[in-house]
Amino acid sequence: MSPMGPLILASFLFCVGVYGVIARRNAVLVLMSVELMLNAVNINLVAFQDLLYPAEADASGQVFALFIIAIAAAEVGVGLAIVLNMFRNRASVNVDDADLMRW
Amino acid sequence: MTSQEIVFILLAIATGGSALMVVTSKNLVHAALFLAATLAGIAGVFLVLHADFVALVQLVVYVGAIAVLFLFGLMLTRAPIGREALDSQNRGLGTGVATALFGVLVALIVDAYADFSTTAEQAGREIAGPSTAQLGEAIFSRWVLPFEVASMLLLAALVGAILLSRRDEGDSGEGEFVATTVTLAEPPSAEGELRELPQASGGEA
Amino acid sequence: MEQTLDLAWLVPLLPLVAAGIITFFGKLMPGKGSEIGIATVAVAWVISIGIAVHTFSNSPIDALEKAFSWSPLGGGFTLELGMLVDGLTAMMFLLVTTVSLMVQIYSREYMHGEERFTYFFAMLSLFTFSMLLLVIANNTLQALVGWELVGVCSFLLIGFYWEDKPNQDAANKAFLVTKFADVGLVVGVIVLASAMFGSTSTPFNIGQLTEASIHGDIATGTLVFGTLMIFLGAVGKSGQMPLHVWLPDAMAGPTPVSALIHAATMVTAGVFVVARLYPIYAQSLAVMNTVAIVGVITLFFAGFLALVQDDIKKVLAYSTVSQLGYMMAALGVGGYTAGIFHLFTHGFFKALLFLGSGSLIHAVHSNNMSDMGGMRRHMPHTFWTFIVGSLALAGFPLTAGFFSKDEILVSAQLWGDNSATGDFVFWLGLAAAGVTTFYMARACLLIFWGEYRGAHAHHSGQDHEAHADTVISTPHESGLQITVPLRILAVLSIVAGFIGAPFWSQDDNFEQWTATHALEETTYPFIAGGEHAIELEGEVESAGARNAASPEEVGVALRAGPLATEATEGEGPSNHVLHGPPEFHADVALYALVVFLLAVGLAWRIYGKGEPETDPTMNLGPVTKALVNKYWFDDIGYRGIVVPIRDRLATFVNWTSNEIIDGFVAGVGAQTKRIATGTYDTLDQKVIDGGVNGAAFSAAWWSDKLKRIQSGDVQRYAGALVAGVIVLVLVFAAA
Repeated sequence: MSPMGPLILASFLFCVGVYGVIARRNAVLVLMSVELMLNAVNINLVAFQDLLYPAEADASGQVFALFIIAIAAAEVGVGLAIVLNMFRNRASVNVDDADLMRW
Repeated sequence: MTSQEIVFILLAIATGGSALMVVTSKNLVHAALFLAATLAGIAGVFLVLHADFVALVQLVVYVGAIAVLFLFGLMLTRAPIGREALDSQNRGLGTGVATALFGVLVALIVDAYADFSTTAEQAGREIAGPSTAQLGEAIFSRWVLPFEVASMLLLAALVGAILLSRRDEGDSGEGEFVATTVTLAEPPSAEGELRELPQASGGEA
Repeated sequence: MEQTLDLAWLVPLLPLVAAGIITFFGKLMPGKGSEIGIATVAVAWVISIGIAVHTFSNSPIDALEKAFSWSPLGGGFTLELGMLVDGLTAMMFLLVTTVSLMVQIYSREYMHGEERFTYFFAMLSLFTFSMLLLVIANNTLQALVGWELVGVCSFLLIGFYWEDKPNQDAANKAFLVTKFADVGLVVGVIVLASAMFGSTSTPFNIGQLTEASIHGDIATGTLVFGTLMIFLGAVGKSGQMPLHVWLPDAMAGPTPVSALIHAATMVTAGVFVVARLYPIYAQSLAVMNTVAIVGVITLFFAGFLALVQDDIKKVLAYSTVSQLGYMMAALGVGGYTAGIFHLFTHGFFKALLFLGSGSLIHAVHSNNMSDMGGMRRHMPHTFWTFIVGSLALAGFPLTAGFFSKDEILVSAQLWGDNSATGDFVFWLGLAAAGVTTFYMARACLLIFWGEYRGAHAHHSGQDHEAHADTVISTPHESGLQITVPLRILAVLSIVAGFIGAPFWSQDDNFEQWTATHALEETTYPFIAGGEHAIELEGEVESAGARNAASPEEVGVALRAGPLATEATEGEGPSNHVLHGPPEFHADVALYALVVFLLAVGLAWRIYGKGEPETDPTMNLGPVTKALVNKYWFDDIGYRGIVVPIRDRLATFVNWTSNEIIDGFVAGVGAQTKRIATGTYDTLDQKVIDGGVNGAAFSAAWWSDKLKRIQSGDVQRYAGALVAGVIVLVLVFAAA
């Protein structure tokens, strides 16, 4: 199989994730989009591992993908804790309202 | 077109569509559910790509834990159930940037792999990918250090998450969520005005 | 006796010291300073007598010259303060110290009780010093200093009674008229010195000047111009016409001042300077003629003015002007000896006349002759001394005036053999002698004969006598301090002339006394056929700047007259300037006697009864009018000079100063201010501040625009980040 397919899928997911990060109003949804981006990268890695370097003994692509999954999980946990805090302080998780750093 | 490819394409369509729905759905819970679907689809893609352990881990961790976590998060932050207001004002920017990025990446990919022919694409070659045993061996031999660091990271994340979500006066608190209203000071420009934060009432219907 | 010449410097110094002492300590002394003045002048007088005797008995003497030199510019130019003692100096010393001594003794009584008595004596001493400084000077610069100083003293003394404006005006007039003339003196001194600048380091030295002029080292043009300019100074100081106008007005001063300054000494300074520089004057016929003409005009016309005067001092003043004219005219016709001889004798008898008039004024409390009359009975001493003085002035035989006036006429006659100027001077001099006799006789008759008219003695404006309080019905004789000087001067008026008389010694007489080698040198070549003339003809070109082919054209060109013929046949220098021992000229003496008798007779006829009401001089119609208006000199001077300068020139200059110069300065100031304001407004405010403010403004403007990037919207940040990533990808992909 040509790696083009998975790669294009991965880039599609990535771009959708980018769109979601930029364009969604709810902080939780932003985190979801970030998950999408991470998963896109995972696809990339696994695709490379499988389609380009299948004889690799280290299986570094898949290992890397595993690590990413772990880290993504940690990140979501912390991120949601932060969002929770934000909700507690402001009763809103609207990212548009979090512009204290505005000029 | 091999069967692998066909299956892959089907899965890709499903995944991609779910992903699109995640970012464009007006209902937040639907978006979470679509995310779960996307993650599942991705697990399927992994399976197609001979990464069975990763696929299962994906299912277990992502779909089983993270998606649920998201649902909890939506619940705890009183995400409005049902129709949500429109997206933020950065839609234009997002669309532009995303499509541009997609265009560039696709162009690069196509440019790089259009005439891809692997030596591995020999008929009859049975490529199975590393087995789980091999994966485990690789992790604990070559990648042991990152593994340990990752576990430290997970610990830190655990502690941090608990700390961040702790209430001020004590342990898991009881009582109402009283949103602390913060009155912002006058911003330095004329554009800023004093904005009253919405009261901690229920979300809109 | 040789050493007395060395003491000559003491003679001017003593009165200076006296002036200083009197100024500071005079008021504390019992005699209020007068004793110091008299004592010092007496000592100076004694020294002068010593010098005079020595120079007289060794005449003609080599001049003793000593000087302090000072080179302020370090060589090349030297200033001198020095003395030149020769016969002329000795004669002037004698005259000045004698008259000064007499006047100071006289003043003790005359000015008694005057409030500014001490000041008066200090001024008298200062004046004496100044005059002696002028006389003793060995260079023209020092003479100039003395000249100016006597002018200042004259001003101060004429204005002694300055509380009355007419007196102040008289002092101003004297000072300004002489100052105007002094311009000529200064210019002349410098012009003559300029001819000597390269060749000597003391260009003002009189000896060197005369030597240079004799040897033809001074160009004719320079010489003529310089001498004429100096003569202009002399015209002012010695009251020649037209600058005589200050002398009659100077009678506003006290009478002793008139006697000392305006009769004997200061006014003779002009004549003295011409005499001192005579060798230079003798180089040019034109200059000599100018001097003679001015002198003769003065002597003739001034005399008539005395005919219409009622004030005795005015009579004497005009008489002085006329006699000064005589002296100048004498110098102009080659009568060097005659001129200064007359100066010498005139000093004595004119001082006498003034002091006598002072005695009269003191007694009568009025200057006017119409208030006097019959005074011979009341004031006998004054009477006979005054008569002696008048006779001397008129030239009565055997008085001093007779010999000196005759000497002048003789010189004129001899000069007249060659030049018309001489004849002119002779006849007009003779006529003026008659006028002189007439007005002096008139004065004497009006004062001393007839009846005393002053019973109701009214005080004229000029009458500021010391005790002018009670009306004295009959005048009485003045005290000894007045009459003794009168008597001494009367004696001198008679005997002073003897040293120039024909019956005096051949070797030691006035002419030899005052002759100088330079003078003899001057006139050597002009003797036609004389030994030096023969020498000169051969070397006329090499002798330098004679600028003439023959001796006749240059200087005193004379054909041999009777005297010269005699002399050239004999040995020694004899010529028409220095005539040798005076001889008795019967024709001249006869003319003079006839004129004298005619004038006295006429005066007796008119004034013998002493009645001025029918004074014929006042009834001569237009002549009287002209005389009374003093030939309108004062009017012309006032309207022609004073008024335009004061009213137009001064106002114009003032306007120039205020409008133009001040306006210019103010304009510059305003301009500067405008430039400064403009610079401030445009450069500082707009450009520099604009730049600085603009920098700040632009920073603020940019910041205002750029701050919007920081929207606080995290999503936007993410979008920007991804856009950057795209760019980087493209860049790396392209690379």
